Amino acid sequence: MRARPIAPIIFLRILAPERADPPMAGFAAVLRKDLTLELRGGESTLALVALSILILIVMVFALDPAGGAADAPIAAGALWVAMIFAGMAGAARTVLAERDNGCIRALYLSPLDRGALFLAKLAAASIFMIVAEAAVVLMLVLFFNLDFDLRLARMLPALALGLIGFAALATLLAAISGRVHAGDLLMPLLAVPMYVPALIAGVKASAAALGGAPWSAMGQWLRIMIAFDVLFVAAGFILFEHLLDED
Amino acid sequence: MDAPAIEARGLFKSFGATPVLRGIDLAIAPGCALMIIGRNGAGKSTLLRLLAGLGAPNDGEARLFGAPSRRLEAAARRRLGMLTHQSYLYPNLTARENLEFYCAVYRVADSAGEIGRWLERVGLARFAAERVRAFSRGMEQRLALARALIHRPDALLMDEPFAALDPDGAELAATLIREALARGCAVALTAHRAFDLDAVRCAARELVRGRLLGAPADARAADRADYFPAHPGAGAR
Repeated sequence: MRARPIAPIIFLRILAPERADPPMAGFAAVLRKDLTLELRGGESTLALVALSILILIVMVFALDPAGGAADAPIAAGALWVAMIFAGMAGAARTVLAERDNGCIRALYLSPLDRGALFLAKLAAASIFMIVAEAAVVLMLVLFFNLDFDLRLARMLPALALGLIGFAALATLLAAISGRVHAGDLLMPLLAVPMYVPALIAGVKASAAALGGAPWSAMGQWLRIMIAFDVLFVAAGFILFEHLLDED
Repeated sequence: MDAPAIEARGLFKSFGATPVLRGIDLAIAPGCALMIIGRNGAGKSTLLRLLAGLGAPNDGEARLFGAPSRRLEAAARRRLGMLTHQSYLYPNLTARENLEFYCAVYRVADSAGEIGRWLERVGLARFAAERVRAFSRGMEQRLALARALIHRPDALLMDEPFAALDPDGAELAATLIREALARGCAVALTAHRAFDLDAVRCAARELVRGRLLGAPADARAADRADYFPAHPGAGAR
């Protein structure tokens, strides 16, 4: 196979993405289809919610929190561990399901803009994770005796950035896993190490929010998460085309 | 002669140490069809996949509409239709929803009207609201035909289009292929048996041990009797 020069392709992709169609038209069609399938099957969201809550319960029993603001770092840690490990099971389902039923080839052959396809998969995974996170935060409040107050609301930016970054990473890795032997094993092996910078930042930002620290205490961590999100969303947008390719 | 819409030049593909295709050359002009006949494992599906750009050859090149298949622009991809052993349908969507999705992806004008017409055409209008998971294999193949054709492609790659179809379904598939040819679509299709040729009336070549035997690469002569073997492989050697 003749190697294709990647750098010029990436450059051209940014400057002149395929504009024969409005890219958002393909985005809307794929997202609508994925949400319809999820509403009927519910596999991704159910797996995410069930596993998140299960992990959270195990963490609560293991850590035996006393409750209140003193346990903010423990609560934040438990929340993020639950989100990440459950996310590995559910966030990548939209891509893996396309591979399972072979429809990924139909999408590859279609005129869909590959960047729009990645964004649609990312949006679907993010929506599934939002539902799961909402359930986990509710459980967190109950298990850790937290109050429904402004501190929870201040945690939202960290959660939103965290789930977008993780959904982007999971979508990207799901596309990679389809190209390699034993790719299913690749997800957990790569996802957590690659996500560590955002994970640490997310835990720190969430702990600061739950502990009532000022916004300035969260700022540096949120900036790390924004950088992580920009990196992986951009990487997915640009590289998704090449990851769908078959040898 | 029109420039070929589907073309292979010295296509070579191996899986590990096993060569599957050994230097395939073919060219199919608009309005022409070529049936590639071969036994199981002859490499027919691999050839169609390479022609579509699904996979890289070890050597040679597959081209669609004059451009390398693996580097097609979106506008050229819109002109391609493909039917494979996998139906590319979503089991948990209804027949109508599947076609709606592909119409949206291919930006088909008057999609509601087209979907209604195609469901009627493939005999699935009564099952429009049924999920595909409840379909028989033959019904799924009929819907897959509609999926592959609803955007009126200029080139069609069809892997055993008559598989799983009853006689009526096979006749329908042949009619749809003939109609596509009549409006100038180039068609490459595969089959195990040469007698499917009678239905489509196209040129044929046999794929044996990775080599295309028989007629020359020009597949324009859909009306030439010498392209029609009486039984598998008869006209190819």
